[in-house]
Amino acid sequence: MIVHQLLSGAGPQDAITTESLAFRERFRAWGWGGGDYAAHIAPGLNGSIKLLKRFKPRPQDVLVLHHSAGAPRLRELLTLPNRKLLLYHNVTPAWWFWEHAPVVAIHCAAGREQLAELVRSVDVAAADSAFNAAELEALGAARTDVIPLLVDISRLGPPDRRPAPRSGDGDGPVVLFVGRLSPHKRQDELIRVFAQYRRHRAPGARLMLVGDPITTGYLELVHNLAQQLAPGAVTIESGLSEAALGDRYRAADAFLCLSAHEGFCIPLLEAFHFGLPVIARPAGAVPETAGDAALLVDDEDPAVVAELLHLAVTDGELRTELARRGRARLELYAPDLVAQRLRAAVEATAAG
Amino acid sequence: MTEPERALEQARATAASMRAGGAYGDEEPESTALEPGPTGGVERLLEWALIEPDEREVRSTRRLGAPVTWLKRGLLRLLAQYHAQLLADQTRFNVHLLGHLRALERRVQELERIAGEDREPRE
Repeated sequence: MIVHQLLSGAGPQDAITTESLAFRERFRAWGWGGGDYAAHIAPGLNGSIKLLKRFKPRPQDVLVLHHSAGAPRLRELLTLPNRKLLLYHNVTPAWWFWEHAPVVAIHCAAGREQLAELVRSVDVAAADSAFNAAELEALGAARTDVIPLLVDISRLGPPDRRPAPRSGDGDGPVVLFVGRLSPHKRQDELIRVFAQYRRHRAPGARLMLVGDPITTGYLELVHNLAQQLAPGAVTIESGLSEAALGDRYRAADAFLCLSAHEGFCIPLLEAFHFGLPVIARPAGAVPETAGDAALLVDDEDPAVVAELLHLAVTDGELRTELARRGRARLELYAPDLVAQRLRAAVEATAAG
Repeated sequence: MTEPERALEQARATAASMRAGGAYGDEEPESTALEPGPTGGVERLLEWALIEPDEREVRSTRRLGAPVTWLKRGLLRLLAQYHAQLLADQTRFNVHLLGHLRALERRVQELERIAGEDREPRE
């Protein structure tokens, strides 16, 4: 079988790109051919993804359409006679971006507009969470498969090694968040909560924010906020290697996620892999991905979130129990299990 | 041990108790939030109508991309006169369109006011 994957954009740090490359490895192992294409390709991918304008499928090839943003040439692709599988990764509502990243907002608005047409035109619709699947069903998808993101978390290394503290580190607990530096991820709220936590519970605490900024201007805003509320206690990093990202998880004492919109949230699983207690907003697919392994908090009061964080950092037995539940949660997302679902969905698409 | 299911309840109680004792009374002002505001108002549209591209976003994300960034920004400077024309034309259109929209809004409000007066019961 020949299976092509089509993405709106691809980049070396992008979760959907990483997943499509993992899919390709599985396709090869199953004896399937095909190529992976994207409308826009960021530097650093070493030719593993080709430009969409070079895409020339044969009619019997199966197309896997990864949808996470507006895709150019979509109507043209949808009129092709090929069997098509939609994999919906969610599109963040555009209003989060109009102010700070209008180009991203345009892609998101277009992505939302295209979703109904995609649902109507594909043979099989799938999403990486039930939350995302519900959006497809609201648009008329008859049956939607849930295929969680296929992520090999072991690429970040084993959970048990803790690197030596870097010079200049404080003695207090380290709070970590991993995710794009973007308005909907609410790093601003993280900093506000962290400032309260630091002031009232852990004066030596540090906050590590890891993620590519959506724009340089937004990075500057977040940086200035951190300097204003918790001077010298917040680090913002991007472009980390997998080894370096693994080190950040190992150095952390808790993972705090106050994101307001998530279609899946891979960093939760990464935090579980490293045995970190997770405190998170129950936004989007977060409750579904985290299950009972995270402390979910929808209180707006920063004091409540700060106290929950304090509890997760200091209560050893609570940490142990959360780590145990996190490991159990990871088993549900084991790559081989996800791959089985993927294979079934692609074969169902091909069979018609 | 705190059960995970009871942790939030405990955190709420502790926060309330600490607040009663004088802690957590120093919340940051709302102005420190970076959450985007509503996008529909004419005031916000007017702010966006005046186009000011941020030159810092013109950069290369490649490894060793500094020379590429330098080249891109150099090209921008060389093309500054052309871009100034583009920005001026687009901004002129945006501002006049918004002016027209405001005039229409005022007219609708006036018509609604008159229609409201007409509907009031007559003595």
